[in-house]
Amino acid sequence: MLTYILTILTFGGIYALLALGLNLMWGMAGMANLGILGYYAIGGYASALVTIHFGLPVVVGMLIGTVVAGALGAATCVGIVKLRDDYLAIATLGFAQVLALIAQNEIWLTNGTDGIGQIPRLAGSLHGEAFNIVYLAVCVVILAVTFLGMEVLRRSPFGRVLRAIREDQMVAATAGKHVFSFQMKALAVGGAVMGLAGAVYAHYIGFISPEIFQPQLLIYVFLALILGGKGNNWGAVAGAFFVVFIVEGTRFVGGLIPGLSAVQIGAIRQLIIGVGFIVVVQNWPRGVFPEPLKKYRQPDDLLPENSGAKE
Amino acid sequence: MEILTQIPQLVVNGLMSGAILAVPAIAFSLIFAVLQISNFSVASHVAIGAYAAFVANTVFGLPAAVAVIAAFAVSGAIGVVSDHIALRPLRGQGPLTVAITSLALNMVLENIVRFSFGNDVRGLDIPIYRDWIFGTVHIAPQQFFNFLIAAVVTAALFCLLAFTSIGRAMRAVADNPKLADIKGINPEQIARLAIFIGMGLAGVGGVLVALQSGIEPTIGFRVILSVFAAAVLGGLGNIPGAVAGALVIGVAEELSLLALPDAYRSAVGFVAIIVALLFFPRGILGKR
Amino acid sequence: MKTTDTTISRRTLLKTAAGAGAAVMMAPAIARAEISGPIRIGGLMSLTGAGGTWGPIMAKVQQTVVDQVNAAGGIMGQKVEYFVEDDQTNPDAGVLAVRKLIDVDKVCAVTGVWSSAVAMPTLPICWQNKVAMLAIAASDTLATMPHHGYFIRTYVPVSLQGKAIGEFGLKRGAKNFYAMLAQNPFSQSMLKGLKDDVEPKGAKVGSVIYDGTKTSFRSEVDQALRTKPDFIMLGGYPQDSASIVKDLYRAGFEGIICGFGTAITQEFINAAGAKAAEGIYTVFPSVAETSAAYKNLQKITGVKGVLDTNRCQSYDQINLVLLAVAASGQATGEAIQKTIRSTIGGPDGEPVGDVMTGLKLLSEGKKINYEGASSNCEFLPNGNLPNAYFKTMQIKNGVLVVV
Repeated sequence: MLTYILTILTFGGIYALLALGLNLMWGMAGMANLGILGYYAIGGYASALVTIHFGLPVVVGMLIGTVVAGALGAATCVGIVKLRDDYLAIATLGFAQVLALIAQNEIWLTNGTDGIGQIPRLAGSLHGEAFNIVYLAVCVVILAVTFLGMEVLRRSPFGRVLRAIREDQMVAATAGKHVFSFQMKALAVGGAVMGLAGAVYAHYIGFISPEIFQPQLLIYVFLALILGGKGNNWGAVAGAFFVVFIVEGTRFVGGLIPGLSAVQIGAIRQLIIGVGFIVVVQNWPRGVFPEPLKKYRQPDDLLPENSGAKE
Repeated sequence: MEILTQIPQLVVNGLMSGAILAVPAIAFSLIFAVLQISNFSVASHVAIGAYAAFVANTVFGLPAAVAVIAAFAVSGAIGVVSDHIALRPLRGQGPLTVAITSLALNMVLENIVRFSFGNDVRGLDIPIYRDWIFGTVHIAPQQFFNFLIAAVVTAALFCLLAFTSIGRAMRAVADNPKLADIKGINPEQIARLAIFIGMGLAGVGGVLVALQSGIEPTIGFRVILSVFAAAVLGGLGNIPGAVAGALVIGVAEELSLLALPDAYRSAVGFVAIIVALLFFPRGILGKR
Repeated sequence: MKTTDTTISRRTLLKTAAGAGAAVMMAPAIARAEISGPIRIGGLMSLTGAGGTWGPIMAKVQQTVVDQVNAAGGIMGQKVEYFVEDDQTNPDAGVLAVRKLIDVDKVCAVTGVWSSAVAMPTLPICWQNKVAMLAIAASDTLATMPHHGYFIRTYVPVSLQGKAIGEFGLKRGAKNFYAMLAQNPFSQSMLKGLKDDVEPKGAKVGSVIYDGTKTSFRSEVDQALRTKPDFIMLGGYPQDSASIVKDLYRAGFEGIICGFGTAITQEFINAAGAKAAEGIYTVFPSVAETSAAYKNLQKITGVKGVLDTNRCQSYDQINLVLLAVAASGQATGEAIQKTIRSTIGGPDGEPVGDVMTGLKLLSEGKKINYEGASSNCEFLPNGNLPNAYFKTMQIKNGVLVVV
């Protein structure tokens, strides 16, 4: 039982890192990036490949994974940042899809759909409970450091500019801010955090394959952030753990309803998760821990109900 | 030289598969035009339409044409109901929150389908004919029939928008909901109608896909990325644009086979939109 | 038809024999042990995701067998508890699901692992916890990973299947093969199996690997037909293979079409329609359909025609586990994997094809040899089957019949 809980918590930590990265891109800078699994995957693949082929220590692999994903984040900016809202969302979704196809087909690099197995694990000599305790501790430390970094960013002048860009790019530009470079930094740092999440994941389960681009995970991460409170780092972390608990908790629900076939139990689980998401968004649209905005109270005509309409 | 002789066939194949993409792409764009939101649950409505046609055709033994109408009605009705319950309460929350919630709605609807029908692959009971051959190019009657349905549906929708009062009201709401409201058009009713027609069309798209391959709960997911790409390429909210985008992507995906391994075919749509959006950030036929 | 994997050296076979001997000598000591508490077995099934077509069918087969055993009083007076978890055909969900099965449900064996992407990260968890894994997953890497014997797969290596299809084609006089494969963990091995078999004998092999998630493969079909093949091998899933054969029919292809067991199934026929599917062959890993296991599986599933390989394998897996528990008198992963290799799957003993007969013979103190519905179930130390038997089937009037 303990190891199962430790595993859930470790996955919670990994999803929390993803949610923190997304919070920087979307929550703070306002870019709805549906390509986040691209950074997650490239961080994992990069770290796995350098530790396997060059025998580098796992920690160095994780750093390389982080940097590579950060670079990819910065690169995304070039193509897509001019796009707004829905165009951005769909273009980034496609960008991740292209990366997924590369992971599937460039067998010389990624080993194709077979995936890369036997990735060296951190504290690989340990087994079972001991390994899971150590790894969870490592994961918590990484999460804590990342969280502090994100919180510093949020409170810094950099964070304030990002929020200004989120609310109105024109105004920010008029105020003399170089919007593009701020957006690029947000995508690079956010991408790096997601790459780190991917590396932590790869060295935890010891395997990486194109299945990492699963649409459910994309939904879970957005769900975590909306649920916790977009714009708030606490919300991102709390939301991620909550999502993992719900997803795992639904395993125990199917068995309670008698007379269902296996496929119906599988369907019910995902139904519950989807319905749960909708209910939460309807009742807490700004999340359970809304972004603290006391210093920047919006004038009435910028309330969200108008921000969606085109002029 | 041998490559050149393949081009006419690839273009024909591309136009045929593009026509199938066009129907759900119109759906996506129509809903966007009226509501200004990306409703990703189009994917599950494609599946709902396919299953509705399956029930009508295989279970009740009705002909294919009736099955298409059943698909339209059922997925349109489910579209209106699911939008009313799940997405309408969020209209004030900004388009992206709604778009992402529609991903969750998609997951719910897909799993309702899975719960009801299981994951088994099913097929429609329709006759199959040999290809027609025109010189070096051959076309399957089935594909041509699909192409015709897509063309008829597009033309019907175009007429509805251009020549009827409902169509004018819809365009008015799309252009400026507030102004339309002032002029006495009920934007809520128009939105509901747009969703019914849109999701109904998504369901018809599902039948067209089902005629080509089998029916299973992820059938919508298989085509949806190309559908989004088509809608974006044509400019979100622009219905002729969605058709053009779908045809361009269909042809581009096929022509890419001359240069790229087959397994990369689905990347083509996205590379196309990313390149196109670099020059036209609001789509090729987008406004401004 | 019998095909043997030539890569298996004599030495590994000798080692199996030696291991089997040692385990047989230990067997009487094990058999005296008692089982306390219910026997807990886990099904790690793909209920949703890409494998969602199969998981539910497999879980149902296994549940039926378990119910039968429980209705007859269980094993050594203990009930069998069977837990199914959804791996969503996805490694993350698979890791969490297997953790739940091992840590919460305390299972001693995990069966039904279909996807290689799930088997890869969950296999280390299984052997470290001394839980036996019975898999269908096809990736060649799995057998080479360290697993201390806890990995057993009922799946016939795809390279052998490719080879069997090649031999079938050659026998029918095919000279120009074309393989149409979906991009998945076994496409390369399929192709290699076919090429290694037919190219030395002077036949040509062309191939295309396509994206199986698309809905139309018309241009791929054109590409295949341009090479003027007389034999087309299909190696995808039912839905994409159905789309391909419809286009082959429309284009008037008149050569032989032969598919893998994963592609040519009843679902495939439903999706393609009887007309387009007519005359298509499949070469299918299976023992004779006259085997007791096969007949019994037809009886419990109510399927009159041909059973697909996933049903057969999940049936064999649950039978192997239950019989191993009964034969060793222990509900542990270690006893299960050793007993399956040494006695239950071994060549000696009275052949049985269903769990009820097996339990009866065991209770009479007899030795048994489980002959499965998918294979004879004799496993190498690395978990693979050393050889496989194939049967050739053809679709006639919308049903698969033995040729």
